[in-house]
Amino acid sequence: MKNNHEIKLMTPFTLFLLLVIGLGGVLAVYRLVNGLGASTNLNDDFPWGLWIGFDLLGGVAMAAGGFLIAGAVHLLNMKKYKPIVRPAVLTAFLGYLLAVVALILDLGQPHRIVYPAVMWQVHSIMWVVAMHVIFYTMTLGVESSPMLFEKLKWQKAVDFVNKIIVPVVLFGVMLSVLHQSSLGAVFLIVPGKLSPLWSTTFLPYLFLASSVMMGLSMVSIESIASARSFNHKMNYEILNGLVRGCIIALLVYLVLKLYFLVTGPGVGAAFAGTMEANMYLLEMVGGIILPLAILAGRNRKTEGINAMVTGHVLVIGGVLLNRLNVSISGMYGFQNATGTTYWPSTIEFVITLGLIALGIFLFKLWAKYLPLFPGTEVN
Amino acid sequence: MTNHWIDLRNSDVILIMGSNAAENHPISFRWVTEAQERGATLISVDPRFTRTSAKADLYAPLRSGSDIPFIGGMINYILQNDLFHREYVRLYTNGPFLINEEFKMPGDLDGIFSGYDSEKRKYDKKSWAFQTNGDGVALQDPAMTNPMCVLQQMKKHYARYDMETVSSITGTPRDLLEKVYSIYTATGKPDKVATIMYAMGWTQHTVGTQNVRAMAIVQLLLGNIGRAGGGVNALRGESNVQGSTDHCLLFHILPGYLRTPVASLPTLEEYNTQATPTTKEPLSANWWSNYPKYSVSMLKAFYGENATRDNDFGYSWLPKLDDGQNASWLMIFHEMMKDKFKGFFAWGQNPACSGSNAGKVRQALAKLDWMVNVNLFDNETGSFWRGPGVNPADVKTEVFFLPCCASMEKEGSITNSGRWAQWRYKAVEPAGESWPDSEIMNELYFRVRTLYEKDGGAFPDPIVNLSWEFGPKDSQGKVTAVDTHLIAKEINGYFLEDKEIKDTLYKKGSLVPSFAFLQDDGSTSSGNWLYCNSYTDKGNMMARRSTEDPSGIGLYPEWSWCWPVNRRIIYNRASVDEYGKPFDPKRAVIEWNGEKWVGDVPDGGWPPLLNPDGTPNPKSMKGFIMKPAGVAHLFGPGLADGPFPEHYEPLECPVQENPMNKSHRINPTAKLFFEEGGDGKSEDVFYTCDTRYPYVATTYRVTEHWQTGVMTRHLPWLLEMMPQLFVEMSIELAAEKAIKNGDKVRVSSGRGEVLAYASVTSRFKPFKIMNSTVHQVGLPWCFGWQYPEDGSGGDSANLLTPTIGDANTMIPETKAFMVNIEKV
Amino acid sequence: MAKSVLVDLTRCIGCRGCQVACKEWNERVARKTIFRGDYSNPVRLSSDCYTRIRFEEKEEASGPVWSFVKEQCLHCKNPACVSVCPVAALTKTENGPVVYNYDRCIGCRYCMVSCPFQIPTYEWDSARPWVQKCSFCSERIKDDLVPACIKVCPTTTMFYGEEGEVMLEARKRLQDNPDKYVPHIYGEKEAGGTAWVYISSVPFEDLNFRMDVPQVVLPDLTWAYISKVPALFGVVFVAGVTGWVITRRIDAASKEDQS
Repeated sequence: MKNNHEIKLMTPFTLFLLLVIGLGGVLAVYRLVNGLGASTNLNDDFPWGLWIGFDLLGGVAMAAGGFLIAGAVHLLNMKKYKPIVRPAVLTAFLGYLLAVVALILDLGQPHRIVYPAVMWQVHSIMWVVAMHVIFYTMTLGVESSPMLFEKLKWQKAVDFVNKIIVPVVLFGVMLSVLHQSSLGAVFLIVPGKLSPLWSTTFLPYLFLASSVMMGLSMVSIESIASARSFNHKMNYEILNGLVRGCIIALLVYLVLKLYFLVTGPGVGAAFAGTMEANMYLLEMVGGIILPLAILAGRNRKTEGINAMVTGHVLVIGGVLLNRLNVSISGMYGFQNATGTTYWPSTIEFVITLGLIALGIFLFKLWAKYLPLFPGTEVN
Repeated sequence: MTNHWIDLRNSDVILIMGSNAAENHPISFRWVTEAQERGATLISVDPRFTRTSAKADLYAPLRSGSDIPFIGGMINYILQNDLFHREYVRLYTNGPFLINEEFKMPGDLDGIFSGYDSEKRKYDKKSWAFQTNGDGVALQDPAMTNPMCVLQQMKKHYARYDMETVSSITGTPRDLLEKVYSIYTATGKPDKVATIMYAMGWTQHTVGTQNVRAMAIVQLLLGNIGRAGGGVNALRGESNVQGSTDHCLLFHILPGYLRTPVASLPTLEEYNTQATPTTKEPLSANWWSNYPKYSVSMLKAFYGENATRDNDFGYSWLPKLDDGQNASWLMIFHEMMKDKFKGFFAWGQNPACSGSNAGKVRQALAKLDWMVNVNLFDNETGSFWRGPGVNPADVKTEVFFLPCCASMEKEGSITNSGRWAQWRYKAVEPAGESWPDSEIMNELYFRVRTLYEKDGGAFPDPIVNLSWEFGPKDSQGKVTAVDTHLIAKEINGYFLEDKEIKDTLYKKGSLVPSFAFLQDDGSTSSGNWLYCNSYTDKGNMMARRSTEDPSGIGLYPEWSWCWPVNRRIIYNRASVDEYGKPFDPKRAVIEWNGEKWVGDVPDGGWPPLLNPDGTPNPKSMKGFIMKPAGVAHLFGPGLADGPFPEHYEPLECPVQENPMNKSHRINPTAKLFFEEGGDGKSEDVFYTCDTRYPYVATTYRVTEHWQTGVMTRHLPWLLEMMPQLFVEMSIELAAEKAIKNGDKVRVSSGRGEVLAYASVTSRFKPFKIMNSTVHQVGLPWCFGWQYPEDGSGGDSANLLTPTIGDANTMIPETKAFMVNIEKV
Repeated sequence: MAKSVLVDLTRCIGCRGCQVACKEWNERVARKTIFRGDYSNPVRLSSDCYTRIRFEEKEEASGPVWSFVKEQCLHCKNPACVSVCPVAALTKTENGPVVYNYDRCIGCRYCMVSCPFQIPTYEWDSARPWVQKCSFCSERIKDDLVPACIKVCPTTTMFYGEEGEVMLEARKRLQDNPDKYVPHIYGEKEAGGTAWVYISSVPFEDLNFRMDVPQVVLPDLTWAYISKVPALFGVVFVAGVTGWVITRRIDAASKEDQS
């Protein structure tokens, strides 16, 4: 295998990415040296902010595409999606790595990140999450490893991984299902703090459901973006299939959300005009109903690629917003009772952007040097 | 305190007025809370709703400086409704005494009593005397119906303080006045008792003494003095201010409240004669008739063997005041301003922040040649030369700083408000080069004495003749280490020769058991007769720590020691009826068991007034033994400003004239430092009822800081809680002045200004005074420019307060003055 | 035996001796503050302030009502913070205190998020920060000493004793003085019960107590999910294997069909 010459590294966009990564890197060092108070706007009333709400919760949700596609192909034998298994798994792998980086920066004692592996506390959902992250990152590593082995021409290793791939994927799916929902379970213990618009004992399953549509949308966007930037041919069969899956997931999620709205705080709560209510409406309309309409109503004859992009972007934005709502806006009313406020600091924003840029850059690098798209047709 | 802290728990009604005990005496609330738990009613009367008010069952606001109308109204309420404890008043007060017919009162003379000399601002008290029979014994009307008897005169005087008048002066709503009066005066019954807790909120007025007197009258009328849960209780502002007063902190007294001699009394005999009261009353113990014993014993303690009968026991070595000279706090700085002082020891004080009109104090310090600042820390006084607006180059005063120990760094006694002298041990070694005060004085004494011995001087005798036996001495005769126990023993006193008293021989060198044994022949010494009995041959009584309470009313007689002679509740002879039976057997302080008194140490061991068969017992004595007639003074001719408290407005007040009369707005006997219409630039200037300074102001302390804050502003924990000067004001005033909570504002008076943070609160309310709205503000005086070092704390609120003092004590009037306030 | 405290707000005079005693015993530094118009300072519990008095001023028809509310960890009987800590850095001791172990903490701050009373605080200014909160003076309790804040209180605002004894005292005070107290023992049911409970003459909502604290044992809410984890794992496993088997069979069948 040789380098993918179609992929140009030294583009202005890449340089921009590198600039953002560099800036993020410098600020990450600043954060580690000077502490959280010096670099973030976190405080005693808002102990969690952008890095947990967006980087960690959002990053993990984004990675759901990995287990969905790998599962579909390896477990459910949906061969149609085979071409996107590798990018999907890579995205998940990168997503997790970056979430872990964000977590390291967010932890007060970053060097102790491995402690949960030693100091078990099975009553803690955070411990459950930590164990998942450790195992699933390893699983994703295994799932991605054939690309490296192929590049290195370690055929035996490739064969070995291929031999064990089904149980590995199965393990990955099990972990992911649990993990996605567990992140929702993190917020089960704060029913008094979290606005009833989000607070429900079913929260873990809502997280799982939303991660499905998020994962599918991410894989879709990625496929479209890769096809465009790496000059591949669009595979409409795959894309339409993903849209179908996404629509189903959106419908299920919408029904669940409406059910918990009606049985929970009531429809009126969504129209109370408060910051929380408005954020909830934005999430519901902009992140579920609107993309559902766009995706379902796209013109299949023109293959509706723009509608697809719009729909998927809205889904992704909606789920990210949901995670921010659950972890920050939904608790704002409770947490700012003493008058304290939270809005992320510039450093928090730049590091988050740096992590996103790093993800895109690593993806691009991987695509250039490793067999990410084997057998894809070049336009 | 006539009583003591623990005794607060015995009360049925506690009035906290002129004090903010919850904030400034928080420990007292241990007992106040206990009383409340038992069902007692707590009443808080204060211009501002305080932390005390927050705990009170009833709160009533009043304008600063209107306490006499408030209490006067209560006296009127008692007398009009016949609520007084008749037996008590008849037996133990001068209520039945007949006053001279010439005596006239402010109701007749437009605001003054008879005998006023407006030139001297003084009363000729001739007309304030009692009618006497041929033997000089005062005439009495036991039925108290004679119009000239004290009770009837008092009734007449206070009839002017009707509810309507009082309410319009104090600004207290009528319904609240009635509530306070009815609850408090319900304790006129023998089995009910009420107490008053007051502090500087009463004393720091031009009528401060009369504020306290007014309440003492109420307590006497209701029969609450001498009783458990009663009394008149001054909450002292420092842990040992009682002790320092007992040991002659003030200019006009020597230890044990003996009088400072004056120049016109050149001999001991003249001095003793003048100071020793006489009485013709048959049942009066007239304890002060022992005066010569105490003064001679004190001189023997001062001068030891150098004091002999031949040299008047060294009387001539005592410093004398000029006749009529007032050498009080305000006068010190007033004279200092006039260059009358060369040097000044600021010992354990911070006048640059604590003195009323502190701006004047700061100017006065610059007139000195030298100043010695003895303190735990440098303070605004020691550093006045580099204070705000001062150019160090312009100040010639040389300042020395002597660091001294904190109380826990040395051994000794402190005397608390309840008169308990409690021995304390040294907890930690002194920090750095700081010395105990006693060592600083020892060094100073030795150096000064050496100079006198070497160089002579105008009058070396008082120094070179001093007895200074406070520890082992070196070859030069200098005490090498001061032994606090020897000081305590000297205060108690020794037998200086073998002495037989009542068939007992007391050996030379033994400690005097109690002041009843002191002699006027030079055979005993006692540095302070009141403390005689505190350190005896039985040991250091102040160090006792027994938690036994046989009385059941919290007397704890063997916990520390209490003056006089360990009497925990003074005037306790007034807690019983004529037969010696307690008015309230549930809370008996003392009781006559047929042979002797049991319970607390009685005010003298004489039997009750009546024998069991109802016949008078000629061996008996009346209970108020320190008064010449043996009874308490409802009518008090001893005071400068009148025998009955009368309302006068503060020097600066919001009303044009005194609502009680037309001619005398302020206390007619208070010394004036500034004449209205005089030089407007005077540092003593004041502005009353002036639109430039339209708001009543008062100063106070907060729990978190102590006095001027010299000790507490160095403690970051306390500063964290109360970081900066603030001024509290009503929501209504803030709205008028467009001031928001937390805004920085300027508070100014005729004498100075301070910057403060606004605290806009419903705890201050506008007053309705004489049909117009009067606003009041208040600010603490615990801050100063020097600490915290960044100056963020603000400066002393005493930069605003006036130069004027109480007519009797000259305690400055810092609790009522006028200011303006504006947003910065 | 678990210790417990009854805070009787009617007795507190707001002297803040407790606030200073706590700082002294726990060696907490002071921070620079500014006077913001009311006496409460610092404005919030922090890593240097484990307890403080909150001054609550209200205007009633009868006049001002000024209450002094002591804030500190309530030491829940089933603490959310203990249950959520992934490394068991927080534990509920037998004596009652919820204590923190520096040696374990990774700094995830889930304890802070989970606390229904917003109690745990963080050393934000440190590069190696720890969680800080009232420890109920657990070291003193171990040595049979009274917690520092309780020791210095001049009015015995805090009744300290065994759990049962304290609840009895609280109920007794409410029963004996129905006119004085509002009929609510705050902490009896809140968060499933706390070791520190409050009684007051002013309704707790007027004193800005958290009235939205669920009256359930909070860790149960998470445990309801965690206890299902093995089952969920199994379900996914079975579904995955079944899916694999079925789809392979279908695949094989279709291949056979084609052949």
